[in-house]
Amino acid sequence: MNQIFAPSYLPPQLRQSATTRAMMADVMIALVPALGMAVYFFGPRVLALCAVSITACVFFEWLYRRLTHQSNPIGDLSACVTGLLLALSLPVSSPYWIPVLGGAFGIVVVKQFYGGVGKNFMNPALGGRMLAATFPMLMTNWPQPLQWLPLLGVDAVSAPTPLSYLHEGVLPPQGLDLLFLGDRGGCMGEVSAFALLLGFVYLLLRRVISARIPLAYLGTAAALCLIFYPAGVNPLVWTAYQLLSGGLLMGAIFFATDPATTPVTPRGQLMFGVGCGLLTMLLRYCGSYPEGVGWAILTMNCMVWLLDRLGMPRRFGVSPFTVTRRWLDGIRDSLLEIKFVRPRFPAGLAGLREGRAPGEVYLDTIRSHVKTFAPLFLLLAGTCGLLTGLHLLTELDSARAELSQHQALLSQVMPQADSSSETPYRANGAMSIQAGYTDEGELVGYCVEVQSHGFSGVITMVVGVNLNGEVTGVAVTSHNETSSIGTRAMTPEALSRYVGMSGTIRSSGDNSVDAVAGATATSRAITAGVNRALAIVANLDTEGVDEYADGQP
Amino acid sequence: MTHSFFGGVYPATRKASTRRKPLAPLSPAPEEVAIPLLMCADGLSAPLVKPGDRVLLGQPIARRAGGGAAAHASVSGRVTAVENCPHPWGGVSPAIVIRNDGREAPWEEIPQPLTTREVSLTLLTQRVEEAGIVGMGGGGAPIWEKLDQAAGRVDTLIINAAECQPYVTADHRLLLERGKYILRGAELLSRCLGASRTVLVTEGDKLNAVESVEHRRLVRGGTVRLCTVRTRYPLGAEKQIIQTVTGREVPPGGSPLDVKCVVFNLATVYAIQDAVFRGRSLTHRAVTVTGGAVSRPRNLWVPIGTSLRCLLENCGGLREPADLMLTGGPMMGIPQDSLDTPVIKDTNCLVCLTNLERRPEQSGSVCIRCGKCVAACPMHLAPTFARQALEQHDLARLSKLHLEDCISCGCCSYICPAQIPLVDRVRQARQALERGGFEI
Repeated sequence: MNQIFAPSYLPPQLRQSATTRAMMADVMIALVPALGMAVYFFGPRVLALCAVSITACVFFEWLYRRLTHQSNPIGDLSACVTGLLLALSLPVSSPYWIPVLGGAFGIVVVKQFYGGVGKNFMNPALGGRMLAATFPMLMTNWPQPLQWLPLLGVDAVSAPTPLSYLHEGVLPPQGLDLLFLGDRGGCMGEVSAFALLLGFVYLLLRRVISARIPLAYLGTAAALCLIFYPAGVNPLVWTAYQLLSGGLLMGAIFFATDPATTPVTPRGQLMFGVGCGLLTMLLRYCGSYPEGVGWAILTMNCMVWLLDRLGMPRRFGVSPFTVTRRWLDGIRDSLLEIKFVRPRFPAGLAGLREGRAPGEVYLDTIRSHVKTFAPLFLLLAGTCGLLTGLHLLTELDSARAELSQHQALLSQVMPQADSSSETPYRANGAMSIQAGYTDEGELVGYCVEVQSHGFSGVITMVVGVNLNGEVTGVAVTSHNETSSIGTRAMTPEALSRYVGMSGTIRSSGDNSVDAVAGATATSRAITAGVNRALAIVANLDTEGVDEYADGQP
Repeated sequence: MTHSFFGGVYPATRKASTRRKPLAPLSPAPEEVAIPLLMCADGLSAPLVKPGDRVLLGQPIARRAGGGAAAHASVSGRVTAVENCPHPWGGVSPAIVIRNDGREAPWEEIPQPLTTREVSLTLLTQRVEEAGIVGMGGGGAPIWEKLDQAAGRVDTLIINAAECQPYVTADHRLLLERGKYILRGAELLSRCLGASRTVLVTEGDKLNAVESVEHRRLVRGGTVRLCTVRTRYPLGAEKQIIQTVTGREVPPGGSPLDVKCVVFNLATVYAIQDAVFRGRSLTHRAVTVTGGAVSRPRNLWVPIGTSLRCLLENCGGLREPADLMLTGGPMMGIPQDSLDTPVIKDTNCLVCLTNLERRPEQSGSVCIRCGKCVAACPMHLAPTFARQALEQHDLARLSKLHLEDCISCGCCSYICPAQIPLVDRVRQARQALERGGFEI
């Protein structure tokens, strides 16, 4: 008596109130504190950028759906969230066309080309942000906080962000409290950790996101910071600075929790967070760019399909032990499938019976093959030989030229020395330090490459200093000075006046070199460079470095 | 108890309107009752009476015939017909219609009441079968068979008083008002089945009942343990309640006996002890009539077979037009379209929802891959992958998703922000798997 009952209403008859639209609205509400702090620190330009960005995203979404004759779901507010996130991840000095460009790329290419909301595999806001990062001059320009920028006509005034200090391995000058409140340079939305955490708590309370991804992300990053920290820094302080600076919090709370581009399964979400943390710290420690959050999340976005498979929940009623055993059984079965086949020689001895040598039947085939391919092979070999020869010749030439140039420079700055080699010493202000040796292998002194600001631009020079702290010679290797005016200070005669000087050289009085008439600025610059080189050699810390040995006697 | 099950959802319980209302008898008694012959998952029972017969309260009117369960007259009066009438499980089913004479004259030939010492397993099973007791939490499984199979094979007896569905308070009131009998019944079952521990599981939203039972346990002693769990749906589902109490998971396709557990509904235990200690058959049960559309929501002590219309009349009728009426709780209940449908042995509530409460689904939304359905599924399934594979007609993928484990609790549909009817998608996927194809 099982009558098929076709209900017009499917169970359950109750539904929770949070729709997609409400979730998106909640994300926007959670971003309000960060937006407020951004306005407080960077001025009303923040609001203008956000408005431009949101308008652009909604417009492109509407336009694409309209042009492709699809339903228009802009009412679900996902484009607004994309726009707001994109704007808040930009520096406040970005021009207004950046969010438009980023929004167009994020919405059209990243999101709509793959089918719209829920089907994109990369976070559209982050995609747009990383497209904008291809303009590094605009995107690494971090204005100081509390200096409100004008709405129009922004001139680039950059201040170092805490992250650039951390990238160098030193702690930033700001205190942790200021960093927590957001008094630092950076993207608009990411500066205030406090505001971001407020948003995080709101999202958790509203159950819009689960805490799995952010906690796994931040926990992994913190663990790595605690394990790897520069010498002489308290690991806890280092970890706190790493977590609070850059876009880590914003990425973990708002970008890594985007539903469409993160794994569906709880275990997959944990793995996603851990992967993001690993990649972020890898990029921060080993990358050339101080920040790595964006690339880390985008990379993990592309691995979501894999994490979804790995993270499938264990079947109810099947114990983890059984799961593991079945998995091992599967591996054993597939290994057993591998069969070892005894190799068979195709030639055989078939031809012997007809009185021919083994393999003779193949001779004709081989001959024809040789005829076909030999010219090609010869041509290839010839070309390769030619290229290799040319390469060797030119390389030898250029190496010789470089060597002679090097020798010329050495003879100018340190005539006593016959050869020079790189030293492992590093000093602030020195671009390179070379040690000069005589033929007998005796250390003569050091050649320091320094820079100083001349009349128009940077002057690069090499200064030789012997072990007594006296200048043995000065050579200018590059400069932008006005020819025949500034260059008067660079004539060999002018430069030779420095030879034998030591200590701090002044422009007048005792131990001085007079400025060349008409080239005062350039002369001063050269004097400053020589002084710096003298100071570097005087303070050179040869004790802290292991004995240098690379074949020099 | 430190165990917990994975997933679940937290719907608003909405039990405030009835949780303080005692179980009341019907005050305009039903004019007539229609007792369906289909009350047990086993099948139809055979009628013992014919139109024109006079029956007394508690008199057997149907017996088992290969399948089915015994049925008893829940009022005294005259049988007017044996005819098809709507059935709460859907469709129609033959039912014995009795016109109530209002005298409630009891059937005299009731079996001898027993004391605890006299009861043996065989006697218990026989009494339960004679009294026509089926699972009263939904589904209507024959209890005598369950007892027979469980005897000697279980170490944990679980009395399910979780009542995790929103709105329903019938079990709550039953536990609060008749806790004494329920504890007696639980101890009886525990002794007959040879279970080493007996656990009564309740949710944290009925602490007054918990307190009263705890008090009685302290005063009188007893072996029944109490386990109060934070309110979460679907705690009352058999597999989830076993996992909560013992930490054991029922294997796929297995029964609770495979993990040495047996679960009885609270109302079932009450009916069992009634049949054993007082010789009464199952003729009445507790029903909650509630929902935003009902004028005076109440808990009622209802004769089996009473029409839903009579229940509503006892609660002052509808305050506003109900958008949906259903029996059995809003999460897993069955929508009813006729008020002539009778109450049967597993009907624990009648909920009349207004449009505002129900939030009818808006179709046309797309999945945003939020993963909430995966995190909410207590059976460790991934409903959104089932939906995806169904849309892509990917049978190979569907067969790897273990969809046969689904208990249709509705958590995925409830939690989905895109309002996709995922329970239905999973059901369609299972049908497709059974058929081996996607043709309609």
